[in-house]
Amino acid sequence: MHQLGDLEVVDGLKLPARERQVLRPGELVRGRDGFTRRLPRWFYRVPSWEVALEVSLAPHFKLWEFLDVDVREHELLRVHGPRYVPLAVTLLAAALEAFRREVNTYVHISANGGYRSPAHGLSGHASVHCWGVAANLYRVGDDLLDDVKNISRYSDLAREVFPAFQVLPFGSGVGETDDHLHLDVGYAVVTPHGMGDEEADKNAGPLPGGGAEARRGRKGGA
Amino acid sequence: MPSRKEQQRGDDDDPLRARVRAIADKRGARSVAVAYHDYETKTGWSYRGDEWFHAASTIKVPVLLGVFRAIEDGRLSLLARVHVRNRFISAAGDRSAFRVAASRDANAEVQKNIGRTMRVQELAHHMIVTSSNLATNLLIEIVGVDAIVDTLSRLKLDSGVTFRRGVEDDAAHEAGINNLCTADGMLAVLRVIEERKAFSEASSEQMLEILHAQEFRSGIPARLPDGVRVANKTGEISTVAHDAGIVYVPDRKPYALVVLTEWDAEKTSGRSDTIARISRAVFDHLTGSAG
Repeated sequence: MHQLGDLEVVDGLKLPARERQVLRPGELVRGRDGFTRRLPRWFYRVPSWEVALEVSLAPHFKLWEFLDVDVREHELLRVHGPRYVPLAVTLLAAALEAFRREVNTYVHISANGGYRSPAHGLSGHASVHCWGVAANLYRVGDDLLDDVKNISRYSDLAREVFPAFQVLPFGSGVGETDDHLHLDVGYAVVTPHGMGDEEADKNAGPLPGGGAEARRGRKGGA
Repeated sequence: MPSRKEQQRGDDDDPLRARVRAIADKRGARSVAVAYHDYETKTGWSYRGDEWFHAASTIKVPVLLGVFRAIEDGRLSLLARVHVRNRFISAAGDRSAFRVAASRDANAEVQKNIGRTMRVQELAHHMIVTSSNLATNLLIEIVGVDAIVDTLSRLKLDSGVTFRRGVEDDAAHEAGINNLCTADGMLAVLRVIEERKAFSEASSEQMLEILHAQEFRSGIPARLPDGVRVANKTGEISTVAHDAGIVYVPDRKPYALVVLTEWDAEKTSGRSDTIARISRAVFDHLTGSAG
């Protein structure tokens, strides 16, 4: 039985070019809100779907639930494997577990509702899903989250047990949902113990956008 | 519109036309169009073959062509998974969203999988075999309206089939944006599949296999003799009832047949049987079985 600790933690900047083009580790991207943020750099490498089915992130959440994507995901992550997921997915799982205990029934994450790579067809605006810290829930127990009553009820419950949860309000406009409940914990990234961005930068070269060099105060282009 | 005298003269010259008209008139159909192509006699025939109708669910056959074109182009695979989500953007252009109500879908299997994924081949099966509206819209969303339109254009099918949107899109319907077809046009769609020219042999066989699994059999197949197989797709909404199929008769080559009918909204009974009777009339005409 595979466990989370069995998964290799990888530096996205050291992945082969094909993977880097899909995951875009450490790249600055602009969100729909106009702010730029750096995409996650550290990932769990998931060697197969079978492993994802076995690994628990929390007592009631398996890794596969955060990786279940459809044909809109890049085929490298969907067909050929291995798959990658940002380390911060564990934070989301912990928060969802608290929610799960409160509702005391099954919490279902929808397909395309967990981690989506920047190459996913639904990642057009640097979605928080690209950080692995967002979940779209379509059902809690027997309740489908497709109306204002259920979406509002469960979003209130989620914020009660985990006040840092960001939820999207009910509605059909941009930044609203009407057929699922969107929960996220903000644009969190996790850097693993024994590794650091600065040290790794020396080996791997500056981050796209010149982040490390800029912080050292070196002169360069704007 | 031809005058009554001209119609009578046409009927005298063409017994099948007279029989089709008699069946339609007796049943109170507002309009009927029929077209066939017979591979045995290499003949084609149509009655009001260029008259446009709302395509209803027969449009799912052109959508099937679009799906298999995407597969043959390497943009999709039958095993690819699709998120089953019941939320679609209307073709009305106002960015409004709509859903396929479970009560308006003949198939519960796809609705049951909302939130999960289903394979393209499963959705294609449900789109045709049980006429799932949800499966249809999911496939249209994945393949793209423009890609399906392009497929029809490249196959020169767009003169008799107009594809513009998914199904159950009420806002688009209100805006006059509809999927339309003529009997001749839908016949050309069937011929593309049966003749295995535009698609690979494997894709053509797979499309036919799906059509053969059809569960709605009250139209073209209903009054045909035992042993006759039909690969068909029906379509029915408030004022139209259609069936389009390829009929395989033992010991002869098949024929493709399209029957389109239009009705007053309150006239809800006898629609399928009208199609079945017209289908039988065509069968008798082509096989010499007329009594």
